[in-house]
Order: sequence, then C-alpha cells, then structure tokens
Amino acid sequence: MKNKMKNKDFLKSKMFTLLVLEAALIIIFSIWARSIGNNFLTANTFLNLANSLVVTAFLAIGAGCLLISGEIDLSTAAVGAFGGVIVATAIRYWDLSWPLAVLLTLLLCAAFGAANALLVTRFNFQSFIATLAMASVAKGLMMFASVPPDGDNPIHVSFRSPGLEFVGGGKIGVLPFPVILIAIAFVVYGLLMSKTKFGRRTYMVGGNHRAAWLSGIDPKIILLILFINSSVLGGVSGVLASARAMQGGLQALGSAQFTGLTAAVLGGISFGGGTGGMGGAFVGLLIINTFQTGMQIVNVNAFWSNAFSGLILIAALAMDYFSNRAKTKIGS
Amino acid sequence: MSHSIEFQHIGKTFPGVRALNDINFKAESGKVMALLGENGAGKSTLLKIMSGDLPAYDGTILLDEKPITFDSPYHAITAGISVIYQERQVIPELSVMENLFVGELPTNRFGFVDKAKLREETSRIIDDFEVPFKPDDIVGGLSIANQQMIEIMKAYRRDPKVIAFDEPTAPLAESEIGILFKLILRLKDQGKTILYVSHRLSEIFEIADEIVVLKDGELAKTFKTTETDENELVRTMVGREIGDTYSTLERNGKFGDILLEVDNIVTPYVNNISFTLRKGEILGLAGLVGAGRTEVARAIFGADPVLSGEIRIEGKPVKFQKPKHAIDAGIALCPEDRKEQGLVLYRNITDNTCMPVFDKLTTGVFLDPAKETRLADEAVRKYSIKTPTTDKLVVELSGGNQQKVILGRWTSDEVTPKLLILDEPTKGIDVGTKAEIYQMICDFAKQGMGVILVSSELIEVINLADTIVVMCGGRVTGRLPRKEATEENVLALAMKTDAGEKM
Ligand SMILES: Nc1ncnc2c1ncn2[C@@H]1O[C@H](COP(=O)(O)OP(=O)(O)OP(=O)(O)O)[C@@H](O)[C@H]1O
Ligand SMILES: [Mg+2]
Repeated sequence: MKNKMKNKDFLKSKMFTLLVLEAALIIIFSIWARSIGNNFLTANTFLNLANSLVVTAFLAIGAGCLLISGEIDLSTAAVGAFGGVIVATAIRYWDLSWPLAVLLTLLLCAAFGAANALLVTRFNFQSFIATLAMASVAKGLMMFASVPPDGDNPIHVSFRSPGLEFVGGGKIGVLPFPVILIAIAFVVYGLLMSKTKFGRRTYMVGGNHRAAWLSGIDPKIILLILFINSSVLGGVSGVLASARAMQGGLQALGSAQFTGLTAAVLGGISFGGGTGGMGGAFVGLLIINTFQTGMQIVNVNAFWSNAFSGLILIAALAMDYFSNRAKTKIGS
Repeated sequence: MSHSIEFQHIGKTFPGVRALNDINFKAESGKVMALLGENGAGKSTLLKIMSGDLPAYDGTILLDEKPITFDSPYHAITAGISVIYQERQVIPELSVMENLFVGELPTNRFGFVDKAKLREETSRIIDDFEVPFKPDDIVGGLSIANQQMIEIMKAYRRDPKVIAFDEPTAPLAESEIGILFKLILRLKDQGKTILYVSHRLSEIFEIADEIVVLKDGELAKTFKTTETDENELVRTMVGREIGDTYSTLERNGKFGDILLEVDNIVTPYVNNISFTLRKGEILGLAGLVGAGRTEVARAIFGADPVLSGEIRIEGKPVKFQKPKHAIDAGIALCPEDRKEQGLVLYRNITDNTCMPVFDKLTTGVFLDPAKETRLADEAVRKYSIKTPTTDKLVVELSGGNQQKVILGRWTSDEVTPKLLILDEPTKGIDVGTKAEIYQMICDFAKQGMGVILVSSELIEVINLADTIVVMCGGRVTGRLPRKEATEENVLALAMKTDAGEKM
C-alpha cells in the first residue's frame, strides 16, 4: 500500500509551487538587471545571497519547528540580539576565551526558552503573548549587559577575537564557514523533523495535542525542548551577527524575526500547527533573500524592498488561510 | 407544501476512490428515506453533495422537480436544504443562541446583534426540543449529546424543505433519541422531505418509509420498509448473512487472577467508584449519558486526577500522572470522541496508528517507514479499513473508518495491552464490522486481556459483558452478573439517583 503517485503529487505540491516562484524571481531579476546594465546571474550574487541567509536561517529553523508544534516564538530576535551583546561583552570585558563566551551566551539564551516554555505549558499563556513579553525582558537585559564598566550606554560593544572572526566570515575553500553551518543545520533539522520520533511527535502535537497526550506523547516536554531550541538558535544568530561585525550591536537582528517567520510560513508551515517542514522553510527563506538581494542589484530603495517583504508575508498568510479553509471543508 | 429531491446519475471521484457511481433515486415529500450501507459506501458523500460542500460532482440534482446546482453550503441552505453532518460543526467558544443563528444573527435598527430577540427565538426552539440547556450556555461546556442536539436545532431553525441527518443518534442517549424521533415525525407531517442515515437497523424500521441501500458507491437496491426485514437489508448491504450477532459469539469462559482493582476512587467528576476486573473478563460500564462512565475510564488511564482512593493493577497500587504512565503499565484507552481526542485528522493512517509506539518502530535513530507501514497495513487488514493506501489522511476517511483507525492503534502487534478500555468503540461502525469487532473483543478476553466496555447501546453491553457495573450521577448504583442483566434491570439501576446517599 505504498504511495503510487509520487510524481503527480510533487507537481501539485507546495514545494513545487515554491520552486517555480524562486525560478521566476531569478528570471525576473536577471532581465530587470540586464535592462539597467547590471548583471544578476553572477557568482558574486549567489555568495551575497548565501551570506544574507546566515543570520535569518537559524531563526527560520527555530520558528519553523515551533510552528509545527502549534506555537509561536516572537522573542528569538530579541534573545539573539541579547546573545550578540553578551558574547561581545564576555570577550571584551569579562576576558573569557571565545568558545567559553559562546557557550555562556547560548546557556543564557536557553534560559529564556525555558522561561517561555514554563509560561506556556505551566501557566497556560498564549505563546505569542508570553514570548512578546519575553522579548522585552531580553531587550532590557541586553541594555543592562552592554553598559561598560567605564562609560555610558553605547550602541554597540566591539571586540577582537580571531577565532570568532573565522566563525563569522572565514572560508573553507570558496564557501564561507557560516554558510556551511547553515547547510548542516538545515540537513540536521530536516532529518530531525521528518525522520525521527521527536519530529513525528511534534507534528502529532501540532495536529491535535489532546489526541497526542492520550496516546502517550507529552506535549509539555516537546514544547520545552522546542522553546529552548528556538531561543538557542536565536542566540546562534546573534553570535554569528556579532562575529561578522566584530561587535555586539544593540540594533542587531532588527527585522530578522519577521523574515524568519515569513520564511517558515511561506514555506508551508501553517500557523495552525502540524504541517510543513524544513525543506519548505529553506526554500521560503531562499525566496525572501533572493527577493531582497535582487532588489539591491536593480537598485531599488531599501524602503521599497522592506515594504514588499511585508507584502510577501501577507501573501504567505493569505495562502495559509485559504488552504486551511479548503481543508476544513473536507470534514468527514 | 410538497417537496422532493431527486438524484440523477450522481457520481463522485476522490483520488483513488470512486465514492459514488450513477446514483438515481427520488425522495418525496412527507416521507423519511433511509440511506443504508457499509462504512465508506458513500452515504456521507451523497449528503455532502446535496449540501453544496462538494461542488464538483457528476449528474444532476432536482429540487422540487427543477435542476439545481450549488456553489457553496450557503447556496444550499438558502435553497432550502439542511444537512446535519456526521461530525459536529458547532463552535465550542460561542453560546447556544449564537451557534443556532451563526451567519444569520438578527440585528436591531442600529445594526447591532439583537440579543433580546436572539434569546427569545432560541428559547422557543429549546422548548420545542425539550433540552436541558439555556440560550446563553457556552456550547463547549455541554455534553456531546447536547452538542449534537444543537446541530439538529440549527438545521430545524432554518425551516428547510429537505433535511438530511447523517448518523444523528450515534452520540445520543435513549431519551434524546425519543425527542429526535418525535421531531422527525412532526417534520414529516409538515411535508418535509427527510433523508436519514444510520447503522442502527432498529431505528430505521421505526422511522423510515423507504430504504436505499448503497454498496461500494453504487445503489444496490431500494426497499419499502413494510416489505423487507433486517436479514434482507443486511444481505444487500454486506453481501452475506450475519445471523444473530450475539448468540454466535465465541465467548471466553475462564477468568484468571485479579487484574484491576478500583478501590473507592474520587475524581473531580465521579465519587466512590469501586469494582474489580479479572484477566479475561469483559466488564461493561452502563449508564445514561453523563453518568460518569467516560470519567471513570479516564481516571484509570491517568487522564483525570484521582483525588482519593486507590487503583491497583495486579495487586500493585498505581498512580498515573499522565496517560503515558498508564500506557507503559499496559493499559490502552480508545477514547469516545474521535475528532477531539482520538485522531490527528490531518495526518495519515500510518501516523495515527503508530502514534503510541513510535519508540518501537525505529532503526537506529530514525523511524523505519517499513515498520510503520507494516503496522498500519495490519490495522487496515484487521479492521477492514476502506482506503486505497495507508498514506491517506484520516480526515478523508469515512466516519466509521476513522473509528477503526483508533481501534487499530490500540490493538496491534506492538500494542498488546493487559487492560483495554473501549469507550463507545462501535460508534458509527456498520453492522458487518460490528459483528467482527464483537468477536475480536471476545478473542482479546480469551488471550487473558481485561476489557472495560463503555457503550450507550445497552444491548451491546448486556450481550458482551461478563459483569455490568451500572452508574448514575457519578456513582456506582449496582453491579450485575451477565445472567441477571436485562434491559429493565440495568435501566432501573441507571436511574437510581439516590444511591450514593448511604455512603
Ligand atoms: N475528502 C475526501 N477525500 C478523499 N476521499 C474521500 C473524501 N471523503 C470521502 N472519501 C472517500 O469516499 C468514500 C465514501 O465515504 P463516505 O464518507 O461517503 O462513506 P459513508 O458511507 O458515509 O461511511 P460511514 O458509514 O463510515 O460514515 C470512502 O472511501 C472515503 O474514504
Ligand atoms: Mg458517513
């Protein structure tokens, strides 16, 4: 009783639509760039594209996993910015070696995730409210942490660390190290969600947490892990952002929250939970970044590019809404 | 007024399934026409076509002799067709009156909802139905039976020409069924055209004038109720004789050691419950809807907290904090409400059957698709689940087949519980499969499993259980061995409200 119609299914799948969209974007920008005397299809563009993924990729992965379980985390970017400042402060003012600084940062970020999970599973907060509040807490703590012993509030904490510099911008062959990191992360999380017990249980919890619970799955444990995961991945984003700039910026990861979520939803991970996957999230991310990179190459003002990104999110949400409506029609 | 609905050459194909093929019949004014057929025969599909829920179909529908097409459920409703679905569609967060008038709330001259009028009209309908709730009650807090009554009231309120019921009595108790049948007779007198789907043959003989039997999506035969009998209907429907389901059962004769002792437990929902169950014994929990049977099952399974008293398994006291612990101790529970508590509707059959045993289906760190599929195939075979593949989403299965997925989940090679708790296991299941499931339950008992059976169908409990524990108002009111269990005896205990006083 295996699936007989794999090929036909693929043509009708969301993944196929997304790939067509990505191809269309590449074609449109190539023609557009050519018409104003620029070139889109260059190795450089793709390197830029890959680099632009670095910060948002981890946020998209964290957001995606949580959305599958039916919850949302709006604090990841703030927690990430917090992490970015902490890692910088730890190296510059606390004289920690960079691996220790990173470890400490990720541990502190994990605490935010645990707190989120506690609010949601123990005190029954709506996850978007709990995490929005947590975002404020993270921002406040970040400001506190960034005050140097000898001065007033800076807008960033700069530091020196050759090791971390490599993590943020070093190359192995032609590939930047963080790009390799992202590739690995997508593969690992893709396998985790689609092939392991943990991933499958997450889908079941997202689909119907009562039924999952009565079948011996504990949604609380799953959510605890996923909230911590999401915060830690936020921390990884923050550390990478700091490592690339050699400074922990208080404004880092500004719109990344938004991009990460958009990527996941565009990629087919529904707000309702229980659907979509890492592959979709990756292509969703690719589409948004192709779009933003393309807009730069054809010299469109960043202002428009932001407005259009917002429209993409609206379109993605509309698609989500209508496909959900179509689904509720099936009923028994 | 006289109305009719006629189906001409109706066909419908889903991916991999021809759900309906060339269906022709006419349902007339002032008559109840029953639709009968096995699980997956196409009954609900036909009703969904006439409710405008499945706009793409072959053939023509005539309403009052005129061809009619529907683009949406709204269309069908305004044309005068109301369908009460097999699965509840109520909005649990809203009140009774808002649910009844959803989409058509009366407004006052400022455009606001006219609450007074809403309340008044709702009260009127509630009186017609003799139901025990109020216009302002929140629907999510009502019993499943009452939620079902609200579905029916919603359809009734629209004063349709044609009204179709898809297994309306599955979640109802005797008293509510009585109310429903009175109502159907009244609708019949008013000249409405009524379609009625049920797997309970006795109901069909009570209420239907004509019977259409569907088999594998085809119209097998049409009968006048007065000119046929149960045997003939079953033969047409299943293709073979079933005979007397209960007398041919091969029952388990010998019981083993004590498996379960429920010792004076109190939960937020039930009081001072005590009983024991031996290995190989089938214990029926009988009672009216709301008597607390489901709550006892949930307490044993660790799904509701036990406030005082003790539960012992094989002599050892247990305290389950959550269902996982009960499952690890060898207990399984098939829940009553398949949509809310049983199934993950938008996952496939495989995931839904494998859900409790993912741990056992891995190779290395990864789930093994071969092992998963094997388990799901076993469930499909054992319970004859009608589906082209185990990859099919559960939401796309017919109601009865969804129910079978839950049974398959809890009685597979990987899950062989010591104690199997079945809460309304045959809800929505056709007569043929029902007989098979009864035999399976007896076979489980023969293997030494203890079974607790909760069912609203009294004959089912009386005929299957070795011992019957009767409940009323959250308390045990009596305990009958099989020999003494007659319908009168059980019902008398089920209505014995003052029983708890002396404790
Ligand atoms: N949305 C859907 N997508 C795919 N297949 C479907 C869908 N809805 C129904 N089917 C298939 O159509 C067939 C008929 O289903 P239907 O729900 O009409 O059966 P039924 O006679 O109502 O059965 P039951 O007694 O179990 O309720 C089944 O094989 C079912 O799997
Ligand atoms: Mg049906």
